[in-house]
Amino acid sequence: MTESLPPPQMNPPLPQRTRNTAHGFLIDSIQMGWRWLARMRTALYMLAASAVLNVVGTFVPQEPNVASTVARWRNGDAGPGVGVSRALDFFGAYDIYGSALFIALLLAIYLSLTACLVPRIRAYLRLVRHSVPPLIDKPSRVNSTVTFVTDTTQVDVIQTAKTVLGRHWRTRTADSTRAPQLAAERGLISREGGSLLFHVSFYVLLAAIIVGQLTSFEGQRGVVEGEAGFTDAAVSYWNYSPGRWFGEDQHDGWQLTLNQFDVDWVRNPTAPGAGQATVFRSHVTINPAAGEPYDAVIDSNKPLAIDGRRITQLDWGYALQVRVEIDGEVVHDGFIQPMLGDAGVYRGAVKAPSVNPDLGLDVFFYPYAPDDAAGRPVPTGAPWDEAPMLLFRQWRGDLQLGATQQTVNDLDTSQLTSEGGAYLRLGQQVQVGDAVITFVDLRRWVGYQVSSRPAIPALLAGALLLVSGLTIALYAYRRRVWVLTQLGPSANTTLVTLTGRAFHRPDAFIDEFADVAQQFAAACQARDLVWDSESNTPAAGT
Amino acid sequence: MNYDQLAELSRVLYFPTTLMLYLGGAFVYLYALTMGVGRQDQRERGVVLRRIGGVMAVAGVATHVAHEIARGIAQQRLPLGNMFEVTSLMALVGVLAGLFVLQFVRRRAELNGFVLLAGSLVLGMAMLMYADPGPLMPILDTWWRPFHVSLLVSAMGIFGTAFAFNGLYLLRDTAERSVTQAFDNAGSGGPGAAHTNDVKDLPERGSAADEEREQLQQYHAALRAGINPWKLSIGVFLGTSLVSWVWITAQDTLAAGFGRFFTVNLTLVVAALIARWFVPFLPSTSALDGLAHRLTAFAFVLWTVGVIAGAMWAEVSWGRFWGWDPKETGSFLTWIAYAGYLHARATHGLKGRNAAWIGVWAFVVLMGTYLIANYVVVGLHSYANL
Ligand code: HEM
Repeated sequence: MTESLPPPQMNPPLPQRTRNTAHGFLIDSIQMGWRWLARMRTALYMLAASAVLNVVGTFVPQEPNVASTVARWRNGDAGPGVGVSRALDFFGAYDIYGSALFIALLLAIYLSLTACLVPRIRAYLRLVRHSVPPLIDKPSRVNSTVTFVTDTTQVDVIQTAKTVLGRHWRTRTADSTRAPQLAAERGLISREGGSLLFHVSFYVLLAAIIVGQLTSFEGQRGVVEGEAGFTDAAVSYWNYSPGRWFGEDQHDGWQLTLNQFDVDWVRNPTAPGAGQATVFRSHVTINPAAGEPYDAVIDSNKPLAIDGRRITQLDWGYALQVRVEIDGEVVHDGFIQPMLGDAGVYRGAVKAPSVNPDLGLDVFFYPYAPDDAAGRPVPTGAPWDEAPMLLFRQWRGDLQLGATQQTVNDLDTSQLTSEGGAYLRLGQQVQVGDAVITFVDLRRWVGYQVSSRPAIPALLAGALLLVSGLTIALYAYRRRVWVLTQLGPSANTTLVTLTGRAFHRPDAFIDEFADVAQQFAAACQARDLVWDSESNTPAAGT
Repeated sequence: MNYDQLAELSRVLYFPTTLMLYLGGAFVYLYALTMGVGRQDQRERGVVLRRIGGVMAVAGVATHVAHEIARGIAQQRLPLGNMFEVTSLMALVGVLAGLFVLQFVRRRAELNGFVLLAGSLVLGMAMLMYADPGPLMPILDTWWRPFHVSLLVSAMGIFGTAFAFNGLYLLRDTAERSVTQAFDNAGSGGPGAAHTNDVKDLPERGSAADEEREQLQQYHAALRAGINPWKLSIGVFLGTSLVSWVWITAQDTLAAGFGRFFTVNLTLVVAALIARWFVPFLPSTSALDGLAHRLTAFAFVLWTVGVIAGAMWAEVSWGRFWGWDPKETGSFLTWIAYAGYLHARATHGLKGRNAAWIGVWAFVVLMGTYLIANYVVVGLHSYANL
């Protein structure tokens, strides 16, 4: 049996170097390093360092989030310039959470955590198995103390104390060398246990995140209303990022088609929240690998679940079907998906490399451009497609496809010459040069993400451990009380001293102690109750 | 009532009604604090004043709640949708939690004034971000949202109150140290630095009473003098600037931006100077430190649960639970900062002033990431109604 001690020191002193051989030097260094890692102050420094990296991550655009901004920083179009950008790249600042620096720091934090937890857990096991509160001879000045006289025997008083204190206290009675005494303690085991649970939960979280990375899968794909959808298979996704342990044979092969996409806004320009979207809703048909096709709805906060896959709406836009004919021959007929730019204008491009010379259309799309009194369209920034207008400029020459970097919505006009432009309402056609351009159809497209994260339950379990451990660690207060007895002033009476001490929240203990004391005194049918006015008792406190 | 009337009602309830009640309550309570010492009749006046302050505080909370309800009805949704609403609720929770703890848990109702003062500051700050009531973006329209946001907002409010107590702790500690040092230097056994103001029963009349009162006043003056007002003002100004620069970048014109910047900074400087004046009437440093610590611990749990709830919501809405988006980064950073505070508080060598400073810095991190993530770098969580 050992008397209960507080947990091991949080900042143990570093050991001195004692061995002089090379071998000994190594052992000493490892020992010192380990001890250094085990110090809480080291952990604090590391937490501070990770905070600094976080700040970098807040101010420097992150490639996984906003790749286009990073590209503009890199080529000097935005941000602090190419030189600084190169330095940022060197430190991995554009992907700070994937950088070697961050991962090294994470590793160091976990090492430090381990170094600190090993002795703590060992001490904790000792504590739980063997420890008991110490006995005392007389109350200390910092204690709360009350004394009274009762007509029962000393042994009975101790027995009563045990029942009054109940199960939540760890108790110990004095051996025969002392007057009967009861020492009781609470909060030590739960507090330290909660703290350990909290810190250990970091391993659970780490493991869940790593396993999650390995077993998860994420794919993105855009779909136009009414067009053929896509099949759940590795090749269908435009962006495909499976974890290392995710096999391509794990795809189920269901199909998704988008029937209709609802979107609406607050249209009254003077209403509160004018222009804000109010609904994003996909009406889809799912054709499962086995079974009958069925209709389903995907809402912004209600992803669709199919066999452990989750289908989320990521973005949406307008899809314009544009047909280009030259000499009666169709050289382009398909949907373009222009990107929303500034002031509510969508920009896109039509590329028809099959004609000679190549033909390109630079497309501006205004969803809402109603006619004015003179019958001319007035572009507005409004996003609803009540008066759609397609404005384009036609280019001929060399599109330089494959020769220069360009997205589907960009034209590289350096080798092209303009043939003029025109605007089209839905269904109209116009001839520019020898080409006939038709604005055939207007629909919407939606970008979906399909994801599978089998490790989420483990992650949640880790989070639950973390929160419960934290709550216990912060809200279990350590207290000790003692019941001391001695023979009373007259025959068959006992003089009882109840005294207690708080190691946390002493202010709250004053009331707790008073409660215990009153219950105990009542159970003993006490007389001559005296609160020690020198100490932390209610009498002195208020 | 129609939308316009309700919107107007909620506006009036907020400003001037709630703000004035909080400010008035703060003033009355703080004035009453100066009456805790001295003659019997003065102390009785202090009790009466405190009761008046209490009525104002309760009325302020009531009008604040009424404002939230009116606003909620006007826009047919919970008022947690933009920065004004979030900050306003932060003030409400901070005031409620602070008053509750001081009144019923700690039984230190005389300090209510500081909570009300901090609440008024946050309330005023929210007005810098005022937006008329309106509907929510659909992505935000889910029960996850009130769950996640209200946890974080409550934590923010309580962190704010804890910050106030950390600040008061640092002021009081600085004052006590300088007085102790002065007496040590003088080599005389002056009044024991810490507890002179606990001497409550001064004689009612007579020259002995006057002498003692004079001594007390001298001691109070010495405490105040222990804090250099210039250093305090400049420090608070610079410290606030670490966060308030965001307003310079967030306004349409530079002049408007600087206007807000200086408004915020100078308001906080004034608040700090007021707090300095009240330093002699503060309770012991350990009581202030204990208040800050317990409030922080509670808010830390709320924050932890709130961040986890946010990750769960992100998994549902965006199909990924964590993406280091600016707000996620900010909430994590805040969490780390407060974990640093709790660690420092538990480390012997760092207890006291160092821990309190870490607590102050953690709040700077909280407010900084909150404003930066909303105004400067807008990520997926774009509910900032700019
Ligand atoms: C890396 C090594 C770490 C060490 C050596 C360490 C050590 C400790 C110790 C000894 C305590 C107990 C304080 C007490 O008894 O009051 C504690 C508490 C705490 N730790 Fe850590 N810790 C580490 C990492 C972390 C990390 C990574 C976090 C999270 C960011 C964290 C968050 C906390 C919190 C919030 C508490 C307060 C709960 C309590 O008081 O028990 N710790 N830590």
